[in-house]
Amino acid sequence: MNMWRNLKPYLLVLPAISVIGLLFFGGFLLGFLESIGLYSLVGEREISFQPYVDLLQNADFRRSILYTLRITALSTLLSAFVGLALGLSFIQMKGIGRRILQFPMLIPHLAVAYLVALLLMQSGWISRLLFAFGWIDEIQDFPILVHESFGWGIISAYVWKESPFIAFMLVPVLLRIQDQWGQVARILGAGRWAYFREIVLPLLMPSWLAASFIVFAFKFSAFEIPLLLGVTYPQMISVFAYQLFSGDIVNERPLALALNILIAFITALLGLLAYRLSKSWLGEESRGWN
Amino acid sequence: MKKNFRKYAMVGFICALGLLTACSSDSKEPVAESEQPTEDILALNWEQITEQAKGQQVNIYMYGGSDTTNRYLDEWIKPRLQEEYEVDLRRVPVSDIEETINQLLVEKKAGKETGSIDLLWLNGENFRTAKSNDLLWGPITEKLPNFNEYVDGEAADIQFDFGIETDGLEAPWGKAQFVFVYDQDKVAEPPQTMEELKQWVEENPGKFTYPSPPDFTGSAFIRHVLYETTGGHEQYMKPFSEEVVGNWQPMWDYLNEIKPFLWREGKTYPENSAKLDQLYSNGEVWMTMGYDPAKASNEMMKGTFQDSTRTFVLKNGTLANTHFLAIPYNSGKQAGAMVAINFLLSPEAQITKFDPQYWGEGMVLDMDKLSDEQRQQIEAIDRGVATLSNEVLSDHQVPEIPAEYVEALEKQWHEHVAKP
Repeated sequence: MNMWRNLKPYLLVLPAISVIGLLFFGGFLLGFLESIGLYSLVGEREISFQPYVDLLQNADFRRSILYTLRITALSTLLSAFVGLALGLSFIQMKGIGRRILQFPMLIPHLAVAYLVALLLMQSGWISRLLFAFGWIDEIQDFPILVHESFGWGIISAYVWKESPFIAFMLVPVLLRIQDQWGQVARILGAGRWAYFREIVLPLLMPSWLAASFIVFAFKFSAFEIPLLLGVTYPQMISVFAYQLFSGDIVNERPLALALNILIAFITALLGLLAYRLSKSWLGEESRGWN
Repeated sequence: MKKNFRKYAMVGFICALGLLTACSSDSKEPVAESEQPTEDILALNWEQITEQAKGQQVNIYMYGGSDTTNRYLDEWIKPRLQEEYEVDLRRVPVSDIEETINQLLVEKKAGKETGSIDLLWLNGENFRTAKSNDLLWGPITEKLPNFNEYVDGEAADIQFDFGIETDGLEAPWGKAQFVFVYDQDKVAEPPQTMEELKQWVEENPGKFTYPSPPDFTGSAFIRHVLYETTGGHEQYMKPFSEEVVGNWQPMWDYLNEIKPFLWREGKTYPENSAKLDQLYSNGEVWMTMGYDPAKASNEMMKGTFQDSTRTFVLKNGTLANTHFLAIPYNSGKQAGAMVAINFLLSPEAQITKFDPQYWGEGMVLDMDKLSDEQRQQIEAIDRGVATLSNEVLSDHQVPEIPAEYVEALEKQWHEHVAKP
C-alpha cells in the first residue's frame, strides 16, 4: 500500500520520461558518440576530438556563431519590448483584439517564413501594392528586406512570431496585480509611470526574463526561418549545421554532429542561465505576492 | 540521507523499466509477415514472384515536392497496381532522398533486419553512397520482364549512373534533361553558349541568378559552366582524380565575373529552385532553369508561369541523366517491390508518365522495342508549347560526371563564389 503510493507518481511520469529519455537523450548520446568517432556509420572506430578542434579553428564557424548571436539578440530584445507592450494592452482588451494577438501563435514557423517572404520581397505583396498606388516607380525601389545579410527578414519574422509568446507569459502575472494597488499607489502620490516602474515591472521581471531567455535559446538553434529568409553567406548556425550534415555523408558527418553537440551545449547553458536568473529574482521579489 | 537514497533508487528503477519496455517492444515489432530469406526471391521465376507479392504493402520513399509526380503515383499507378497485382503501393514523401539513405545507413549499423523502406527513387551521389555501403538488394533488373523486353540494357545511361556502374542494383525509371526557361517577351534571343549567357547577364543586370548548391538544379547549372569553361565533358568521363579539380579556376572565374550582374548582385542566391521559380513567376528575374524539360509547360498549365514562357538548351548540349528505382537490403517486401518496379516500367505506365497531363517526363524505354501502336500513341501526346521536341532534346545531350566531382563542386562553390 505504502509502496504503491510512493511508486505511483513515478509510474505516472514513466511514459513521458521514457520517450524523452530514449528519443532525446538517446539521440544526443548517439550523436556525441559519433562526433568523437566511437559510433561511425562507416569505417574505423577511433576516439578523436578532432572534429571539435576543426570546428573551433574554422573561420566560417566562428563567423556563423557571432552572426547568429547578433540576430538572435537583436530579435529577442525587440520581441521582449513588443511582447511587454502587447501583454499590457492584452489585459485591457477583450474579444476580437485578444484573438488577433493570439493569432501569430497558431502559425507554424515555416509558414511565417513563407509569409514574410511573400510580403516583404521586392516582388512581394507590399512592394507591388506600393507600385500599384504609384508610391514607388519600380518594384526594385522597394527596400531589400529579405535575403540580405543584416537579417531584417529573419528578425521581423521572429518578432511577429515570438512577441505574443512573451506577452502570454506575462499575462498571468499582470492579471494577479490587483487594481487596488494602483489606486493605493496613486493615493500615496505615485504617477502612472512610477507605479509601473516601482510595482509592475519588478513583479513582471522574473517571467519577462525567463520568457526572453526561452525565446533566445529557441531562436539560437531554430532552422526554418534562417534557411528561407537568410543569405547564402554568412549563414546562421543551424543552416551551417544542416549544410555540413547534408553534404558529404561519410566524411563530414562527425563534424556536423560535433557542431550540433556544441549548439545543444550552448542552448543548455542559456537555459541554465535563465533558470538561475529567474530564480534569484523570484527569491527577492516574490515576497510581495502574499 | 536515507530518503535521498530511496529517491535515487526509484529513479534508477524507473529508467531501467523504461529501457526494458522500450527494448522489448522494439524487438517484437518487425518479424511477422512474409519473412522469406532474400536470396530465395532472386531464384524464383516471375510467376512465383508475382504470386508472393500478392497482398504486400510496399512503401516507396521518394521526393514528395512535385504535385504532378505525386498525382501520377497516387491516382494512376496505385489503383492499377492494386487491381492487377494486389500490391498496395504507399508513397512516403521525403524532401531529399539523402535522408532516407542516412536512415538506411543507421539501420544497417544497428543491424536492423527488416526495415520499413521497400523502394527508393534515387540517382547520382545517393546511389554511390548506397552502393558503396551495400545498402541495396539485387541485382534486380535481369529478373524484370519489362526491363528485358523494353529497355536497352546496354545503353550507357542505363549501365552507368553518374559514372558508377549500376550493376543491375537499380532499375531505370525516367530520363530528365536540363533546360533553361525564359520569357520570350523579355528575352528575344536566348543565349546559345555560356559565353553568350554571360553577355546577356551583363547587359541585363539583376535579371539572372541560379540556386545555390547543394540544390540539385543549381549544382547542375554549375556543371554546365564547368563543361563550357574547361573544355567539354570528355575529360570527366574517367574515374575521379583530385588533380582535375585543381584545374577548375576558369569555372570559378566565370561565376565570379557574372556575380556582380546577378540578382541582388550575387550577394545572395535563391536557396532552392522553387525560390528561383518564384522569382521568375514574379518577374523579378527573366530566366529560370530545371532538370525537367516539361516543367515550364506544366507550370504554364497551372498558371504559375507566364504564357510567354519558353525553354532552350545550349548549342553544346545540356546535362541529361537517368533516375532509378532500387530496393533496400532490408526490405521485407522484395517481391512486391519488384512487381511495382516492373509495372512502373511497363509501356502503358511509361507512356502515361510521358504525358504532361500526368508528369511529362522522359521515358526509359527503347523506342525500337515498342510496337507501332505504342509509338503512335507517344507521337499523339501534346507535350506543351514550352517543351522542346524530342529531337532537339536528344540532339543536345551531355552526360553527367562522376558523383565525386559533383560533391567537390558543391563544396568548393561556397569557398570560391559564395563568400563575399
